Parts: sequence; structure tokens; C-alpha cells
Amino acid sequence: MNVVFNFAGWLRRGMCLAVVFTSLCGFVLSAHGADSAVQVQLDTKKANPRAVESLTERGILRDYRFAWTSIAQAFELNSLDSLEGAFAGDAKQILRGTVLSQQRSGFTRQYLNQNHRLEAVFYAPEGDVMELHDTAEYELRITDGGKIIHDEHVVMHFVVLMTPGADRWVIRRLQAVPQS
Amino acid sequence: MHRVLLICAVLCSAACPLAAVAQDLRVPASVTAGDDVTIPTTGSGKATFYLVGPGVSRKSEVSLGEEIRLQGQELWNAGDYLVLVCSDICNSGTFYVTAAKPASFAFLVHPSRVPVGQSDAVSGVAFPFDQFRNLVLTPVTVSFQLTAGNKPLFSKQVRTENGAAWFRTASGKSAGLLQVVASLDDLSAKRAVQQVASDPCNLRITGQRIPIGVLVQTEPVHDCAGNVVPDGTIVTFSATEANGKSTVDAPIKQGIARAQIEATGATVVSVASGVVMGNELRIGAKP
Amino acid sequence: MKFILPISLVVATAALMVLGLFIGGQARGTVGIAAGSAVYTPKADNAEQALKNLLADVQRRNWDRALAAVSKSSATDKESFIQEWTGSNGSLRSFSALEGFESRPLHITPDEAQIRVRLHWATPVGPLEDVRDFRLIREGDVWKTVLPKIQVPNVPAQVIPVTYLRWDLVSGGAADEWGSRNVDAPHVRIISMNAVDSAEGAVVMGEIVNEDTVPAFVNVNATLVDSAGSAIDDETSFDKINHVLLPKQVSPYRIDFPNISLKNVKSVRMDEKATLVPASADPVIGVMNQKIESDVQGKSVLHGDLFNQSGQTVNISHVIVSFYDNNAKVIWVADGYEDHALLPQSSEPFAVEIPKSVAPKVQNFHVVVDQYSLGRS
Repeated sequence: MNVVFNFAGWLRRGMCLAVVFTSLCGFVLSAHGADSAVQVQLDTKKANPRAVESLTERGILRDYRFAWTSIAQAFELNSLDSLEGAFAGDAKQILRGTVLSQQRSGFTRQYLNQNHRLEAVFYAPEGDVMELHDTAEYELRITDGGKIIHDEHVVMHFVVLMTPGADRWVIRRLQAVPQS
Repeated sequence: MHRVLLICAVLCSAACPLAAVAQDLRVPASVTAGDDVTIPTTGSGKATFYLVGPGVSRKSEVSLGEEIRLQGQELWNAGDYLVLVCSDICNSGTFYVTAAKPASFAFLVHPSRVPVGQSDAVSGVAFPFDQFRNLVLTPVTVSFQLTAGNKPLFSKQVRTENGAAWFRTASGKSAGLLQVVASLDDLSAKRAVQQVASDPCNLRITGQRIPIGVLVQTEPVHDCAGNVVPDGTIVTFSATEANGKSTVDAPIKQGIARAQIEATGATVVSVASGVVMGNELRIGAKP
Repeated sequence: MKFILPISLVVATAALMVLGLFIGGQARGTVGIAAGSAVYTPKADNAEQALKNLLADVQRRNWDRALAAVSKSSATDKESFIQEWTGSNGSLRSFSALEGFESRPLHITPDEAQIRVRLHWATPVGPLEDVRDFRLIREGDVWKTVLPKIQVPNVPAQVIPVTYLRWDLVSGGAADEWGSRNVDAPHVRIISMNAVDSAEGAVVMGEIVNEDTVPAFVNVNATLVDSAGSAIDDETSFDKINHVLLPKQVSPYRIDFPNISLKNVKSVRMDEKATLVPASADPVIGVMNQKIESDVQGKSVLHGDLFNQSGQTVNISHVIVSFYDNNAKVIWVADGYEDHALLPQSSEPFAVEIPKSVAPKVQNFHVVVDQYSLGRS
């Protein structure tokens, strides 16, 4: 039996399969990105001069988790809508600027498997501002034109200023700092 | 079979560039916000450059072997920046932008109104920011000064810790404006706190019979320190006579609250403001 | 043949229209009659029917026919009769509609009758009920309603000097620097709270004071918590509170939890919310001649007169009362809307019902008046 190996045809089929595989891969990963829960632990023992009330603690946990879910969605989908509600002032402006320039550049960022260890270090006497330090671990993935160009597990340190809004705590400043 | 495996490996590497190992770029360890930065590259040919940071997501084409120039305006926001240079593989590097020197304050003072003579009633928090609105985390000394009229009430120098400096003190003894100033070198931020009278003290009323009933009014209403209670404060007059009770919630106007009450019989009038009670007044029946 | 269908359609339509006139008339006549037996009859040969005719005409605003059912011996004229039923001066009545009524004869002789009517009004503040007694007399072979003289407040022309006092609020723009324009919310405090079971469910009530020197818009929320620490329900004081509190002013509040029993409640979480609002210190409304009496139905009712001491018309006034027991504890909070406008320097009576279970324990009470004037905040 004389079998002729049609390399071109095989390559085309192979490429198709590869595209399907890559697409599936991307779909699974992006679905994972959208669904992956943001883990946040909060330690308020060092907060001063005011002790953090238990209701406030719950609010901070809820709203900080929501804020990072919003960041992840906004950067993954290049959507400004996700940034409504969780941010105020400079933080909101900077995040909006980031999404807008991502839209222009055409690439996206994903923050996967987020784990935040949050520590309240300053809580103003009147309870109108709280400074928190976040040691965040996540997988940062940058995708350009469907192609992953960077994927890295990172440990970051953030200084966060949160202020009470009408019905939630909002992030007013989110600034990454080198590990001291 | 080997050819099949080889092709699979080629396809896999095309589909999953994760396999490209990031190599260090020579990026600066730390940059001050707003400063220009140059990043040297090696090699030859074209590559795609990515700058991923707070407020910036830049993608551009660069020539390997030439320096990549980052303008200061791309580095206004303090935080971490990721640099990627991709040709066949992607090389990456990260650096931090730190805040420049303080150029302004966020100065939060509470409360905006405070009753006089209360301990630990006035507090303030200052956060120094640089000219790009980055929080300055390097310790600096902030000076807080409180003055009522021209009289200094409180002064304190506080070194910032984690970017925050704060104070807390008692309110003054007299109603009026309290100026609160935070300063750092030639920078300063001013806020005002209204010191108001405390609860009324020795609330006293006088009254007289008029054709339609009784007219009652307070003496000028003061707090226990002698400050005039603000106009608009509600004073409740209650008149009790044999066949019923009448009440009027009257605002203080020009220091005095006044009400007319329909009452014909012998009447006992009492007065209260909030939870503070005043004297009772007995007025005889209409002749 | 081709004309049969159109002709039959026209005939059927006409027949239905004629039928509709009769059936429609009957349907309208039953509006407001709980028993559903009233029909407008041109000739009222009994007292109850005569009164129902009158009220049906009032509902339809058929003033001429309504007035024809009023006895000539009544001391009323067309203008004041219409004003009595439709309201004036932007009062609550002028925004209300008579939705229905139920009548019950109290006393009937061959020539005279006394009938009690429960009037159901649809108003912007919810359904309101009004109980009125009507006297009817036989005039020939028809019954007619005798209406008492309607007292329309007559305010003489005058100048009333007012030292006007109000608080305006200047809010900062969006571009304001963080912290540069802090104006604190007013400081308010709940000074008493009591939770009781009532026939309708659990009730949380008490009093709140504005301790600040600026006006406050206040709302009180309560959350009922069970023994496991979970929230059973949370509600707000809605309109059972004087929302705008001037400095040092005290208001009752009441929060209703329908169909919830306190047996299942371990604790109550209270939350008062206050925001700064522009407000005026005027008008001042005095609450005169307050006394608790039994009404014609034997219910305990707090009566009094609202006296507008200012020079401007108060369109809608809302009376809220806290009732105390002999330990000065708030045991009930009740409210009522005044459906007549309060003209300057004039009075209007008000009445607030006290539940039977509470009435014997009431030792004292505190009345506050919330007011709304058209064209003012």
C-alpha cells in the first residue's frame, strides 16, 4: 500500500486543531479569570488611633474584594463600567486612564488567583479615612491579540487609602510600593 | 512518527508562548515620578515594546540595540511598572516609580461644627501628596496650628508615618470660628471649624396674658459658658390648663424664643430645649 | 347580503352602547358601598338611599344634583359646599379623591335620620379614612341631607412681620480637593426606643433629637435580629417621623414590621441617618387644646387644634404624637394628616386615634407637626 503523506493538508488540519485548542485554552482561562474569587484577609489589630469597628471591618473586606474584582474585570474586558462604585478621586482617575490606554493599545491584563493580605495601619480619629497595606499575590497575565505575552506569579505591596462613601467604603488611592 | 512529534512541538510552541522565558531587561530599580527614563536594549531588528503601569498601557515598535525612552509624563503615577520587549521571545523587567517631594496636602479636619469645651473633640489628618497626586510615603514633618480669633489654642509638630500625620485636641471655650492650619515647609492647608454654643443652660421664661391667650418668651438663651445659643434652636413651650394642654415648638430668633398660646384658664407653662428643661411659669385665669 | 354583516355590527354596537348606559350607571352607583347594593335612584324614598345619592354625586362631582339633595335648611352655599369636598389652598383634600364610603344608620324616625358614614379617600400620602355623621330629614316624600354651616377660615388682610430664618446649603463642586469642603452631617441621637407587639405585627418606636446647631433630615432604620444573629427584617420609619428636625427638636418615630412577632426577635439594631438639608425655621405651628377624649364610636382620640402662627399658608400638616406611660416611656406613636390647609393666623382641628390596648396606659403625650407648603422646600 502506497501511502502519500500530504504534509500541507495535515498542517492545515493541525493548524485548525491548534487554533481550536488555543481558543479553548483562552476560553477556559478567561472563564477562570472572570470566576476566580478574590481572597481577602484583613488584620485590624495595628489600626490606630481609632479601633476598627466590626461592622467597618466587614465593610472593608466586602468593598476591597469588590474593588479588586472590578479592577480585574475592567482590565480584562477593557471596560470602564466595572470601575463605577468602588473607586473615588485619584484612584478612579488612574484606573480609568489605564483602561483607556489599554483600549488604545489593544492588549489586556488579567489578575488571576488573587490573594490579598490586608492590614489596617491607620484609622483616622473620626473614622473618615483608613490606610491599609496590602500584600497581594496573583498571576498577572498580559494578552495581546489573543496571544499571551506575559504570565507571571507576582507578590505586590500596595498602600491603600479608603474613605467611607454613601453606602460603602471606596478606594481613593491605590499605590504599589517596593517591599520595605 | 518523529516528524509528527516535531510538528506537534512546533505547533504547541506557536500556540503557547508561555514557554518563552522572560529575561531581565536592564531597567532602573526606582524612578521618581515625572522623571524621564531610558532603557537600553541589546540585539538587532524590530521588537514590540510594552509599558504596563498605573495609568499607562503603551505598545509601540522599537529597534533592538537602541535605547527606549520613557517620557516623564508616562511615569507620573507612583507604583510598579512592567516593561516587556517582545521579538521572538519576550523579555521583561519591572521598576517602581516613587512619589516626588510634597506639593500639596489632603487635610481632613473634623468636625466642621463642635460644641465648646469638649475634650478630644477636634481632630485632623494630613496626607502629603506630590505634584502628581502621589501619596508621599517618605516621612516628613507636618505642623498643626489651631487659632480662635487671634489666640493660639494648640500647636503640634507631627512626623508622618506611612504617609499620614494626625492630631486631636479639645475645642475652645468661646463660640466662633476656629482656624486649623497644617503646614510643611512653604506648603499649607487651612480649614475652619465652627465652635458653637453647647446645650442651653438656665433656660428661663417669662409670660403675660394677651387677649387670645398667653404670650411667653425666654430670656436670652445661653449655654453654661455664656455663649449665645444659635438662632433657629427649637424651644418647646408647653401650657397646661384644666381642660387640656397646648404646645409650641418655637425657634430662637435674635437670642429669644417666643410663642403665643391659646389658654383662658389658670395655666402652667413649662419650657424645654432638646433634653434640657427650664423653669415653670404660672399664669392666672383670664379675668 | 353584503350589508348584513355591517348592519348587524352597527345594531349590536348600538345595543351594547344602550345596555352600557344602564349597566354603567349601576356600576358607578355601587362605588364605595361595601355591601354593594346601592344604586343611584332619582327619587330617594329612604334616608340611607338619599345620603348615598348625595355621596355618589360628590364622587362624580355632579355638584348641582348633589346640592339638590341638600336640605334648604342647611346653612351652606354652593361655593363652600364644593370647597368642603374638593379642598382649597393646596390642601391635602385638593389632591384627594373620594374612593368609596360605607354608611350605617344610627337613628331613624319617620321624619329624621342620623347616619354615620365612613369615607375612604385616596390621597398622595396613602388611603385615609374619615368618619362623619350626617343628619337627614324628610321633606315631602324625599329625604334630604342637612349640612351644618361650613366654617371657612376668614383671614383679615394684615401684615405679619416675620424675622425670617433659614439655613441654606452650599455644596462643593466635583473638582474640590479631597477634604477641603468637609461639612459634617448633623448629629442626631435616638433618646428612647421601645419595641412592642401590636395586632398588625411588631412595632419599634421612640424619639430622636437633633443635637446639632443645623437642621437635619433624619430617618430611623431598625433591623430585627433573631437568636442566631441573623436579620429577620429591616424597615424604616417612612412617614412616621418628622423628617426635618431643626436644632434641638425632638420627633417621635415609629417603624412597623407587619406580620412579625417579637417572640422571634432577640434584639433590635437601630440606625439613625441624618443629612444636612436647607430648611426654614418658619412657619411655627402651635398645637392647642390637646386633650384625650372618647369619640362617638367610643374610641380614645387625642383632639386638638393646629394654630398657624406665621403669615404663610401651610398646605398640608402632618401630626405625629408620642404617647407615654407613667414611667415616661414611649408606648405608642400615632399620626394623622390634616386635610385642610392652615391659613395664616388660623386654626384647624385635628384628631389622632389611640389603640384600645394603649389608651388606658397613656399618662402624657407629645405632639409634633410636620408641614408642607407648596413652592417651598
